Amino acid sequence: MAATPGGFSGKVLRVDLSTGKISTEDTVEKYGDVLGGTGLGYRVLWEEVPPGVGSFDPANKLVFATGVLAGTGVPCNGRTAVTTIFPTCWPRQLVGSGHMGGQFAAKLKYAGFDAIIVEGRSERPVWLFIRDARVELRSAAHLWGTGIRRASLEISQEMGADCVVAAIGQAGEQLAPMAIVANSLSHSAGGVGGVMGSKNLKAIGVQGSGAVKIAGDKGEWEKLIKFHLSILGGNNQHVVPSFPTPQSEYYNPGSRWVGEPGRRWGAAEPPVEITGNIFDLNRIAYRTNSAAFFLGEGAWRHTVRGNGCTACPIRCHTVVKVPSVAAKYGIREVAQNTCTGLLFGRSFFKRLPGGMQGQAALEACMVGMHLADDLGVWCNYGQLQRDLQKLYYDGLLKTKLGAAEYASIPWDKYEAGDPAFLFDILPRIGERRGELGQVLSQGTGGLFTHWSIPEETWARDHNTLYWKQGHPKHHANEDDGQCGVIINTQYNRDSQCHSHSNFVRNGLPLAVQKKLAAEVWGSPDAVDGVGNYTPMNVHKARRARWSLVRKELHDSLGLCNWMGPWVASPLKERGYRGDDSLESRFYSLATGQKLDREALDRAGERIFTLHRALTLRGMGEVDLRAQHDLTPHWVFADPSGAAPFSKGAIRMDEADISRGMDQFYEVMGWDRATGAPTMETYARLGLKDVGADLKARKLVPGDPA
Amino acid sequence: MSGQHPEQLPELVRLAASAAGMEASLSRRGFLLLSACAVTSLAALGLCEALGAGAPLVILDNAQGMILADPSRCVGCQRCELACTEFNDGRAQPSLSRIKIDRALNFGPAGPTGGSTGGSIGGSGMQGLWGNGLVVQGVCRQCPHPVPCATACPEDAIQADPRTGARVVDAKKCVGCRLCQRACPWGMISFDEERQKASKCFLCDGRPKCVEACPAGALRYVPWRDLTREGQTVQTPLAVLSAAKAKACMECHVPARRKPKAR
Repeated sequence: MAATPGGFSGKVLRVDLSTGKISTEDTVEKYGDVLGGTGLGYRVLWEEVPPGVGSFDPANKLVFATGVLAGTGVPCNGRTAVTTIFPTCWPRQLVGSGHMGGQFAAKLKYAGFDAIIVEGRSERPVWLFIRDARVELRSAAHLWGTGIRRASLEISQEMGADCVVAAIGQAGEQLAPMAIVANSLSHSAGGVGGVMGSKNLKAIGVQGSGAVKIAGDKGEWEKLIKFHLSILGGNNQHVVPSFPTPQSEYYNPGSRWVGEPGRRWGAAEPPVEITGNIFDLNRIAYRTNSAAFFLGEGAWRHTVRGNGCTACPIRCHTVVKVPSVAAKYGIREVAQNTCTGLLFGRSFFKRLPGGMQGQAALEACMVGMHLADDLGVWCNYGQLQRDLQKLYYDGLLKTKLGAAEYASIPWDKYEAGDPAFLFDILPRIGERRGELGQVLSQGTGGLFTHWSIPEETWARDHNTLYWKQGHPKHHANEDDGQCGVIINTQYNRDSQCHSHSNFVRNGLPLAVQKKLAAEVWGSPDAVDGVGNYTPMNVHKARRARWSLVRKELHDSLGLCNWMGPWVASPLKERGYRGDDSLESRFYSLATGQKLDREALDRAGERIFTLHRALTLRGMGEVDLRAQHDLTPHWVFADPSGAAPFSKGAIRMDEADISRGMDQFYEVMGWDRATGAPTMETYARLGLKDVGADLKARKLVPGDPA
Repeated sequence: MSGQHPEQLPELVRLAASAAGMEASLSRRGFLLLSACAVTSLAALGLCEALGAGAPLVILDNAQGMILADPSRCVGCQRCELACTEFNDGRAQPSLSRIKIDRALNFGPAGPTGGSTGGSIGGSGMQGLWGNGLVVQGVCRQCPHPVPCATACPEDAIQADPRTGARVVDAKKCVGCRLCQRACPWGMISFDEERQKASKCFLCDGRPKCVEACPAGALRYVPWRDLTREGQTVQTPLAVLSAAKAKACMECHVPARRKPKAR
């Protein structure tokens, strides 16, 4: 592809830590057909990292890649995909991506780079300095051993106030598979911190003063951005409020649009009352309050404001101020994060005095954020905490761990729900101290191996939410029946896909959702009510395909799949329709290269198929259906014995899911027996060379084994 | 300024500096009324020449409106910066933005070397993400006379927009010398490296894009008032005046003995 007059910054930075060589290559020419983000990461791994390379081998590469729309004013951009051979993927390490928001993506674009490919291994700890075209490796000797905050501050001192720093903490330095890299205080990419540590790369600091150019007419660009803003809902694109109001036809208590007029950011000085019209575009930032959504209405009085990624009006990283933790635990009273990051500390406990939304819960969250986001420990979507609960409460830990170490852990505090417990357990994990710290920092798969626990033990227990390959479910059957199950079979970590759940959980009545589904996926039967599932049909398979393609598209354009896609809206006058072609319209205007919805979706499918090809090659196994696309037993069981498709049951039926996989493989153009893409599919997506390579390895269906 | 009277230079600078802070809140109209002297005596002082065609325009009418920013509502999303540059310049570039968020986002004016980042712990009062969470937006005050950026411009390229009174850069006149950038105490002049021109808030001709873009209602477009005594400055302005400008200043700011006696 030829260079475009806008959207892309134009260059990919390549840093060889073994030799210190720093070079650049042309983004569009080399990676244009896979856009950026995960697409660019998968392409680099496909071309440059042979199968069998382990996560911490110097031959593994680490690709920080953003996309065309990052750094622009397109709402909900700001994402960076970090793609590598994923350390927590078990029993064999395969391709995977962590994703981070914050200010990193925009700054990298302004510095002139769409991506950074990190390769090799430095002899000594270094950090990467990027100030526009000036790129240097600097010594990190003074930073090694420090937490993420200390490292980020000292690099900021060296670079200036307007830099962004993505750093690892002690966990990453010590090659913990359960380690993050984080920027802008709270925005982290999970699982990849140890890969940075293995390369002796402490951090990347970026300052950028350049521009992301918009190739198209600026008036049209402005119009499209305003349109996009008009169809936004709250966090996760929930398009109706959680509260009844005369301003809205519908409401849904499960919605993350919690900013009801009359609520206040109680810890702002002076407090900010939420007033006015909830649809007002100058009020979008008040719709979402993650602290209030997860911790209950008491969190409103601790709310300072919303925060989040560059250009995102949703602000899902709520800034909270809890003065009591300063005196009680000697930690900062201001913290911020969202979802599992916000709940990091609370999630360790089975019980807390005052319940899961009480004061102790809030304090546990504060202590958790304080420790985990500094040590750089990953939660694997809460699996870390669920693993500890299962190990402890099932009595496994007592039998596995040496008596002295077991006795050294303040289990009384754990059982009592005392947040002070976190000061013991989190440093153990982050600094990999003792057997328990070592084991938990490896992730669930490492735990199975180390203590010879059969995977079944987890996969049969619904409470673990464990799915496969060392990772948990992420919006599966509890949200979206067969669609959720299919999506959860596809990745080598938790699936990180929200295209499907953001629609079914958007809060609109099922009748409205079905009307929209008919327009977008061709049939009202593409969607069921949550917990009121009907047997599988091909429309659901199409929606699963669409969801996965859009996820990869967002991850490759720098957009947030926690917010997109935007096929529903809060607008009654539009019949609650969103816009299915938004991404392609933005792409076309930004780059000046006109791609319609189908063409851009094809790029998304190409990217997803590249991920599939990498998985095939990494496993050396063509029958992904039997060996990879697995569903844990608990999905097919109901604790009270309810039958599949009975109202209120989320359990699935095994034969029905098997039929679902058939239909999914078919709509993907994959072989039904093995779930492997056919040569025709590779060719259709412009991946003939990939197909040919796999054919030579006997990893294309139809080949004699 | 190296012309015929180099020995007068310090005096010129002294006079120019003493002018700063005088009659700060007066519009040109107010200045004329307050002077309360006959037009003839003004003419004798050369003010008419200062205001006339060809001569450097030193005194600008007050702006009619300004952008008012409330830090306690700012959510740090930079949508204002992006609206400013995308909708006006067709590119996303916070460094070019005429409203400044990026520089205040992480640490506030104290910067990363400014001390504790512990919120209230350690109590240094650091702002931004690393401090108490507060983001203090940088906005152009559309200064009253003497307008530092306009006064500093040797090309007289910064003038009052006839519709809004905003102090705007005339790109045709701007030669890219960056003196205006050094003159603004609040660091509100941007420099477009691509075009080699200075750029500043021009209130988007009365419909500021940033105000419209703020998802938290933290920005308002309100009738002008003098904000030059409020907020932290970010730099010590460089007091360099072109000889012609300085001469024009001195035509009003005359030695007391030459002034017509009040009453």
